[in-house]
Amino acid sequence: MFLTFFYLLRSKGIDVSVTEWLTLIEALDKGLCHGSFTEFYYLCRMTLVNRESDFDKFDLAFGEYFKGIQDENEIPPEIMKWLDKGDMDDSQLNRDVYRFEQHRDSNTVKRMFRERITEQNSEHNGGNYWIGTSGGSAFGHTGRNPGGIRVGGTPGMHTAFSVMGERKYESFRNDRALSMRQFQVAFRRLRQYSARLDVAKTELDIDRTIDSTCNQGGYLKLEFEKPRKNTVKLLLLFDCGGTMYPFMELCNNLFQAVHKANHFKDVQTYYFHNCIYQKVYKTPECETGDWVDLDYLFRHFDKDYKVIIVGDAQMAPEELFDVNGNYRGPNGGMSGYEWCQLLNSKYKKIVWLNPRYHGGLNALSWMESEHELAKLFHMYLLSVDGLKEAITYLMAPR
Amino acid sequence: MAETNFTGSKHYIAAPELMQAVNVAIELEKPLLIKGEPGTGKTMLAEAIREATGKELFIWNIKSTTKAQDGLYVYDTIQRLYDSQFGEEGVDDIAHYIKLGKLGEAFKSEEQVILLIDEIDKADLEFPNDLLWELDRMEFYIHETKETVKAKHRPIVIITSNAEKELPDAFLRRCIFHYIDFPDREQMTEIVNAHFEHLEEHLLQQAMDTFYWIRGLKDIRKKPSTSELIDWIRALQLGGIEPDLIRKEMPFLGVLIKKDEDLGVIKQRRLD
Repeated sequence: MFLTFFYLLRSKGIDVSVTEWLTLIEALDKGLCHGSFTEFYYLCRMTLVNRESDFDKFDLAFGEYFKGIQDENEIPPEIMKWLDKGDMDDSQLNRDVYRFEQHRDSNTVKRMFRERITEQNSEHNGGNYWIGTSGGSAFGHTGRNPGGIRVGGTPGMHTAFSVMGERKYESFRNDRALSMRQFQVAFRRLRQYSARLDVAKTELDIDRTIDSTCNQGGYLKLEFEKPRKNTVKLLLLFDCGGTMYPFMELCNNLFQAVHKANHFKDVQTYYFHNCIYQKVYKTPECETGDWVDLDYLFRHFDKDYKVIIVGDAQMAPEELFDVNGNYRGPNGGMSGYEWCQLLNSKYKKIVWLNPRYHGGLNALSWMESEHELAKLFHMYLLSVDGLKEAITYLMAPR
Repeated sequence: MAETNFTGSKHYIAAPELMQAVNVAIELEKPLLIKGEPGTGKTMLAEAIREATGKELFIWNIKSTTKAQDGLYVYDTIQRLYDSQFGEEGVDDIAHYIKLGKLGEAFKSEEQVILLIDEIDKADLEFPNDLLWELDRMEFYIHETKETVKAKHRPIVIITSNAEKELPDAFLRRCIFHYIDFPDREQMTEIVNAHFEHLEEHLLQQAMDTFYWIRGLKDIRKKPSTSELIDWIRALQLGGIEPDLIRKEMPFLGVLIKKDEDLGVIKQRRLD
């Protein structure tokens, strides 16, 4: 049944609703896919998927559902009926499917295609598993643009399989690391308006005042409302250790996003090197002496500050657990882990964003520190989804 | 429903899948939501549809302060207050002070029109939800005059978004969605040629090489977009730059690159 495609999409995490499904059916009934499998693919995508971050999931699901199809007898009859409507070139569908299958399985063609790539210019994003799809070259069609061939029957249109095979929407996936704008958007969720709290109505509501005054035939009537101000205060702690170097840009983006989001009541930023000890640094360079006591943070920033720690938790176990683990500064008689525990006890809400987070996998020896810290703090992957989850946790009432 | 088949226009080169999306949206009478990188011609799409179909185009530009109500109608209470104090005529007629917004105008139109809701994500998070009913039913109710404004012909609704904010699910479900990919070289050549009468092939190729090279650099923060490429080519043309020097010297780079850091990156990479 074609309906299984609907459930397959849902099981792949694409939130397709009945409304959208019916839209697709309506479109198919009107023959809007013009008998082309490629247009059918786009039609499904444009009606069922409504954010580009889901394109990749959709491509994978579409591929999974239709990949087994060898000839048209196996295509669900409903689809075949719809595809029949236009002036479908039968052989084309078979060719598409055949090419897809052929290249997926045949190493020879893949090898030929790799050879071809090296001859072509380097703009080709090679190395993809699905790259075989583009090897229409083996059939005499030379891909004119990188990553996809154009098929004679539908000029200018990438074939469905080659489009989804490219997986070019992979980078839009929500679970990938994110850009500055996405960070900003995510941070906008971090709001808590005091209007929800019980405060006096002190702000003049001009719109309602005008309305009320007019309704009273010109006799002035003032209307007040509760002031709406964001009450969220943030304390950011960035790891600037060597292992964080590959994520410098990512952290920079996060940092900028927080500072551009000027809706917070207060933002404080401090830095640490590998692990949090007695001192935290005032600048990302983490120079000896340019620091404040962790205790200073506790005294100046009350427990309502929401703490975001950004770090990869890749310190060696002895750096975390040994009372002399800090080789760059004072230990203050406690291990890094104990300092972390202290921090944890001082603030109501702390999250740890980890660009390398392995997500509760069984602790391998080199992940021991991460594992232990993830038990102590709420740890999330530094990605769109991770940040959203982290913010949801930060905003949760308790 | 009029048989409309959108195939792009003289100055607007649309990818086939985009044309399909436009035609599907028209056929199904659903709003078409267009997303994509800045400079991929989201806003120009509506203009192109106007050109191709000859229908009138209403543009509703959304700003951060825009409210859904603004698009429907505004009741000018202050004007009425003033008028009443000076005893102007017509004060008793409330309809005098109802001013239709873009959505209202589009609904009231005698013929089918195109309505562009531009950059919907600029507005408040709840904004799209406030328009659900109106876009679904293509009607709204004016409380003050107890009048219902209903579209005689459902407008072709094009909505653009820069993805600054996540749009609400309920809203997304009602739209046909299309994401405009950044044009590949071949499409880009067509696009550029649509903007220039006589463009030397060699100059174009050199400029394109450089353009895609820059876009391919991993550490560029703001990738140059189509409109910047067109401006740049125009500058190169006017400046009478020798095409062979483009790749090497990259003149007028400021047209293409807007960030200091990026200029630095390019300089450094060029030396490598």
